[in-house]
Amino acid sequence: MPLDTASSAVYIQNTGPGFNSAPGRTPTSVTVHPVALFSILDHYLRRTDAQDRVIGTLLGSRSDNGEVEVRSAFAVLHSETEEQVAVDMEYHRTMYELHHKVNPKEVIVGWYSTGSNLNTYSALIQNFYSQETAPHQAVHLAVNTGVEGGGQAGVKAFVGSAVGVVPKPENCVFVPIPCELRFNESERSGLDLLATTASAPNSSIPHPIADLEVLERSLKSVSEMLDRVLSYVQSVLAGEVKGDAAVGRYLMDTLGSTTEDLEKGGFNSALQDTLMVSYLASLVRSQAEVSARLALVTAS
Amino acid sequence: MAAALAASLPAPSAAPAPAAPTYEAIPASMSKVIDIEAEIPLTSVQLDGMVVTKIIKHSREAHGWTAHGLLLGLDFDGTLEVSNSFALPNHASDDDDKSAKGIARYQAAMMRSLKEVQADDSVVGFYQAMTLGSFLNQTLVETQAIHQEKLRHGGVVIVHDLSQTARGNASFRAFRLTKAFFDAYKRNNFSTSSLINHRLTFSSILEEIPLKIRTSPLLSSFIDTLTETTVRSPAGTSPALATSSAALPPSFSVLDLGTSSTSRNLERIIEAVDAYKTEEGNLGYLQRQIAREKSRADAYVAKRKEENAARVAQGLAPLPEEDVSRLFKIPPEPSRLESMLLLGRIDAYAKSLEQTSSTGLVKMYGVKADSGV
Repeated sequence: MPLDTASSAVYIQNTGPGFNSAPGRTPTSVTVHPVALFSILDHYLRRTDAQDRVIGTLLGSRSDNGEVEVRSAFAVLHSETEEQVAVDMEYHRTMYELHHKVNPKEVIVGWYSTGSNLNTYSALIQNFYSQETAPHQAVHLAVNTGVEGGGQAGVKAFVGSAVGVVPKPENCVFVPIPCELRFNESERSGLDLLATTASAPNSSIPHPIADLEVLERSLKSVSEMLDRVLSYVQSVLAGEVKGDAAVGRYLMDTLGSTTEDLEKGGFNSALQDTLMVSYLASLVRSQAEVSARLALVTAS
Repeated sequence: MAAALAASLPAPSAAPAPAAPTYEAIPASMSKVIDIEAEIPLTSVQLDGMVVTKIIKHSREAHGWTAHGLLLGLDFDGTLEVSNSFALPNHASDDDDKSAKGIARYQAAMMRSLKEVQADDSVVGFYQAMTLGSFLNQTLVETQAIHQEKLRHGGVVIVHDLSQTARGNASFRAFRLTKAFFDAYKRNNFSTSSLINHRLTFSSILEEIPLKIRTSPLLSSFIDTLTETTVRSPAGTSPALATSSAALPPSFSVLDLGTSSTSRNLERIIEAVDAYKTEEGNLGYLQRQIAREKSRADAYVAKRKEENAARVAQGLAPLPEEDVSRLFKIPPEPSRLESMLLLGRIDAYAKSLEQTSSTGLVKMYGVKADSGV
């Protein structure tokens, strides 16, 4: 799931075997967990007036195939002026130690900044984080919040590469690498919840939502999709649009399955089991209630 | 954990600030909704989008133990706005005293650090992960009791149901202890008579506070971008070549039957019922012991009275009435808290089973209606 609008950058990767195990190898792709992304946005919201952009540390893990997984992020204090840039290194260390206590598996993988301008200071900060992540390379996430200076919201990932005959910390080429949003399937519903919230008026919804409500919403969206497919098929049949064989095949595969042999597959017994479980559950609940009331009875 | 929390929370009396200049700074339109003395009662809890993802991530990653952490935020006009949270380290392995101090230090350091980057740094409660709808236990009650005493507005506990989230409906609920339970807890008295006086059953331990989820405008717009489908069709007309790409494509996991966890749910119910039975056995044993001691004491008193009556009849001076309570140690009445919590657990498991099976039934009948045509 790409996190940015299509980029014209060509990702040149050396994925040959034997290249993989070296610790200093360049990361080939970055995946971002929603928590990290949302923390960055929250940090951006809480910046002071004097700050144009905010930076922070990315925590996560590296896999053998050069993929960097960003799993969380925390804010780091920094200041930029015309003459100099300062990053509160002590703060960064403290926060890292604190995070490390809760989740020892997450290590420093790089840093983020908001806005999409890469300048000399970015190179300096990149240099600092490269020391932190050594012997691995640090990745840099440039989060465009979509608020300032036009441009769509999105995330770009970079790795730094030294440039010049004599490498200097303030010189650096930021090479783009692919960046994706990734999360566990079981966390999916949380994001769905936030997506529903985001589209609701004044961005807040009452909670909890009943299971059936979620089901209904999902069925509605399926029904809308069916309508869309139906209108496409009808327009093909009417000869308005030229039919596409591949789409036809997909539709055939998807809609061809019937529910006729449900009876054979023990559907009814499964249904009865579910009913049974339902009765059992309400029985247990009433027993618990009775038991709680009985505890209030005294002998006298 | 409880002791650590107590150590690190600020004393409630430290709150009153120089009030007069602050009042002037507050515009008239806002003066009604800002309460310095915490007079406006809490009516709802508002959970920020970031906290939602943080809790889900932490809960999922904590295998084998219950994830818990602290909630940070502010209250405003009766709404508790939870704007940030952080996870607390798991403390099962260390010995209690040392780990409690460690957690208190950790918490103080974390809050100091968060304050430096302009994040909210006042504790408003804690969160805890649960599976299959059951979350009542001693630790939760203890921690919340400490919070209720120390925190402004008493604080809330937010519980997050992992199994329901995995089924496609992320679930967060906010609770606090009811007044009656808190009163009984403070007196540390959970005997039968106290339960009757406070009208306590497992359902009246906690009261639920309505919860709202909120996303900041920045987050909303960002999520909109994520869910937006950008259809790219390189060939222009052919729909097969068009790739629809969105960072968050629609998901249909809700349509799954979701009965896979039923057997585990049933197992949990059985476990809880077993535990309850053991606890009831203990209570019954203690009760019988009390009854036995009482009847022995009564018999002794009756015998002494009889003797005295006989002596009086013979014209002798009656023997002095001895203090019975010194001779017979009647054990104190056992606390019923644990059995109450266990009953609450059984009820919660059964409720979650009920919900799973009822939505399962709806889906099954839905499929059947289709095949019946």
